[in-house]
Amino acid sequence: MSFDNLLVAGNISASGLAAERLRMEVIANNIANAMATRSANGGPFRRQDVVFEALMNDLTGDSLPNAGSLGGVRTVGVVPDQSELPRIHNPGHPDADGDGFVTLPNVFLPIEMVNLMTASRAYEANLKVLQNLRQQLEQTLTLLRS
Amino acid sequence: MNITSGNMELLSRVLSVASMRHDVIAQNIANVNTPGFHTLQVNFEEALREAMDAGNAGSLHTLSPQITLGAGGVERVDGNNVDIDQEVNRLQKNTLLFKVYTQLMATQIAQYRSAISGH
Repeated sequence: MSFDNLLVAGNISASGLAAERLRMEVIANNIANAMATRSANGGPFRRQDVVFEALMNDLTGDSLPNAGSLGGVRTVGVVPDQSELPRIHNPGHPDADGDGFVTLPNVFLPIEMVNLMTASRAYEANLKVLQNLRQQLEQTLTLLRS
Repeated sequence: MNITSGNMELLSRVLSVASMRHDVIAQNIANVNTPGFHTLQVNFEEALREAMDAGNAGSLHTLSPQITLGAGGVERVDGNNVDIDQEVNRLQKNTLLFKVYTQLMATQIAQYRSAISGH
C-alpha cells in the first residue's frame, strides 16, 4: 500500500466537501435573487441547479470499481431550472408587461431551504469521514512508537 | 521456520481491507447527491470466513476484497440510493474495527520486541 493510496480517501472526502459547498453557494445565490426581475441575459432570474457526477477512473461500462478507481464526485455544471416562471398582477412595478403582470423568478423558498439542509448535512457527513481518516492514520502511527 | 505468526499476516490483510472500505464509504458519502449513483460495499470477511470454514487456510493469501453494489436505502426519485445515516454508521464501525486491528498489531509487535530483547 503506497502512501498515495492512503490519501485517496482524503481526496474523495475533499471532492465531496467542495461539491456540497458549491451547492450551498448556488442555493444562497438562488435565495438572494428570489425577487430579481432582471438578469444579465434578460428576463427575470432563473433558479440554478448543480449537476454532480460520480467520478470513477478507468471504468468502462458497468464493470465494478477497484480501490484505485474511486475518485469521489465531480461537478458537471450549474444549469438554470427551466420550469415555468410565476406571474403576479402588479401594474405599478417597473417591469410589468402591457397587461400589468410581472414575471418573477422560479425560486421557491421551501424548496431552497430543504436543499440547503440536505447539502449542509451531506457536508457534515463528508467532514466526519475526513475526521475518521485522521483518527485511523494516527492510530497506524502508534505502531511505529514505543 | 516461520517466525512471524499467521496472526500478523491476517491483521495486515484486514487492516488494508478496512482502509479500502474507508475509501468506499468516502465515495458513497461524497456522492450522496449524485443522481443515479448506487451504494458500493467491500466484500471480504464473509468470503474469507466461508473459505476458512471449508478448511482452505491458504485462501488468506489468494482472496482479494471485492467492491460490489451494496445494500443501500430506498432509491430516491433521482435514482440514488445512498442512505447517509447508514453510511455514517458503517464509517464509525469501520473506524472502530481499524482501531482494534492496529491495537492488536501493536501488542503483537511488543511481544516480538520482548522476545528479541529477552526481558
